[in-house]
Amino acid sequence: MAETAIQDSTLFSARANVRRSFAATLRREGFGIVALILLILVILGPVSTVVLWSFAERWAYPSLVPTTWGLKYWPETFDRPDIAGALPLSIGLALTVTVLSAVICLPAAYAFARFHFRGRRPLLLSFLATNAFPRFALYVSIAVIFFRLDLIATVPGVVLIQLVNTLLLMIWIPTAAFQGIDRSLEEAALDVGASRIRVFFQITLPLVFPAVSAAVLLVFINTFYEAQGALIIGLPRVRTLPVLMYALINSELITQYGAILSLTLWLPSLFVLIFAQRLLRGGYLTAGFGV
Amino acid sequence: MASQAVPAPKPSRKINTQFVAYLLIAPPLVLMGLLIFLPAIQSIGHTLFTQTDNLSTFTIARYIDFFKDPVSLSNLLFTFRITLLVVGFLFLVCFPLSVYLRFSHSRIAGWVQVLALFPLFVPGIILAYALIQFLGTHGTLDTVLRTFGLTGYKTPYLKPEGIVIGLVWEGIPFTTLILTAGLRQVDDSLIESARDVGANNWQVFRHIILPLLQRPALIVLSLNFLGVFGAYTIPYLLGPAAPQMMGPYMQRTFIEVQDIAKAETQAVMTFLVCSLVGVLYIRAVTSQRTERD
Repeated sequence: MAETAIQDSTLFSARANVRRSFAATLRREGFGIVALILLILVILGPVSTVVLWSFAERWAYPSLVPTTWGLKYWPETFDRPDIAGALPLSIGLALTVTVLSAVICLPAAYAFARFHFRGRRPLLLSFLATNAFPRFALYVSIAVIFFRLDLIATVPGVVLIQLVNTLLLMIWIPTAAFQGIDRSLEEAALDVGASRIRVFFQITLPLVFPAVSAAVLLVFINTFYEAQGALIIGLPRVRTLPVLMYALINSELITQYGAILSLTLWLPSLFVLIFAQRLLRGGYLTAGFGV
Repeated sequence: MASQAVPAPKPSRKINTQFVAYLLIAPPLVLMGLLIFLPAIQSIGHTLFTQTDNLSTFTIARYIDFFKDPVSLSNLLFTFRITLLVVGFLFLVCFPLSVYLRFSHSRIAGWVQVLALFPLFVPGIILAYALIQFLGTHGTLDTVLRTFGLTGYKTPYLKPEGIVIGLVWEGIPFTTLILTAGLRQVDDSLIESARDVGANNWQVFRHIILPLLQRPALIVLSLNFLGVFGAYTIPYLLGPAAPQMMGPYMQRTFIEVQDIAKAETQAVMTFLVCSLVGVLYIRAVTSQRTERD
């Protein structure tokens, strides 16, 4: 009897403790809880709408969820000739731009990190100009030149305009990585007789690999989603997937096509999301802004 | 190694590496020169000089036309209004969020961070589509409100509010990221020692956090300004047909009206407004770098 009473009272006080600590958390975390609820509504609301639409066969207005579920529109979407044609084009473009960007920028990043030459800092900082110009106005200016060079509506034209956007990321992230390498590792290898080329491939390259692969990944994703440059330079002949979305939004009566294409377009981004924590910790997500 | 054994030809080697360095950095620099500086300078030139029989004469006629035309003038002012609204809102929303994320280590803070950064992984065009389905007439928000008995929903889609909502949504992660990074520069020990000598919350904020936050705040405000002022996708898809922001306005002039000269003038006007802010941005970034070096 007495035992249960003691148990009861400890249980009671434990409960009170939980309640008190919960109240304290709420007071301390009140802001966090409110922010979390608002963010869930604001961020996940639009996102979940797209997901629901892509699995709906019918969604009549006052219903909270689709009236008929189904995958009917998935094959239909990818059978559309414009989408079927744009998918390989988009992937091919993004790959081309990423490879070109790496070929052009990585040696430059190495030079910025390792060589001492006059104007090193101002030249490195000059790549910030890609951020300091209002992008769309710049595209219009570039389009005026491309118009005369007959580069409008050509793949090379789109490659060039997308390449400009990659420079800052592909130079700044690897430059910081090359600078961060402990030089004594390389010197030790040289001392024991390794050739410079061997040192570069077996010591330098593995050390910068995480940063370089982050840069490559971010550049690929950014290019894959780049729509504005491709819109101004590419149309009417070169239509990437993101550019197709404009047409689907403006003049397509079947909502599902846009939803399904959005969801598909999203896949690469979700892939990056998996690495988000690492990218964030490495400071790569902010590197493109010069912070 | 050979170079260590023979120290004599050092000066020539130095010139040699300089040459190699310039050779390596030339391709991206040339590309940037050709695709950023050249088009910008050329557009500015086009708008200031007219070509008549091999003779170019200086004129500001195109700017006078720009300011005389009520459409272009109202679009410019509209762009200004939206930009200031979005930049202001973003700061108001993200500043408390970043302060919270900096000083709370709870699990809730972790979730708040994940959600606040999520829009970073939603491309602008998909966001536009999602917001149209969510906010539009008979969209998800309308339906949800209706199930709670709230009728008479007025959609912000195709109104100025639609642009503001879209651009704020898009800007939350970047703004939060930079401000939080800025706040992380504030050492915990610095705050504790200030408290030890009797500083209250406000004094800590005013004298320790605020000065350290100036540069990241400047970077965020200027980059947000540049991004919003030159925005295209969100204003084009979520905003009204008139007045238009400069982005969609330029595109319409260039592609649909095919008036290249006019589109160029609009682009240069956008450059001019943004150049002031661009200079602020570059100064903020470079001053930070110098201090760290």
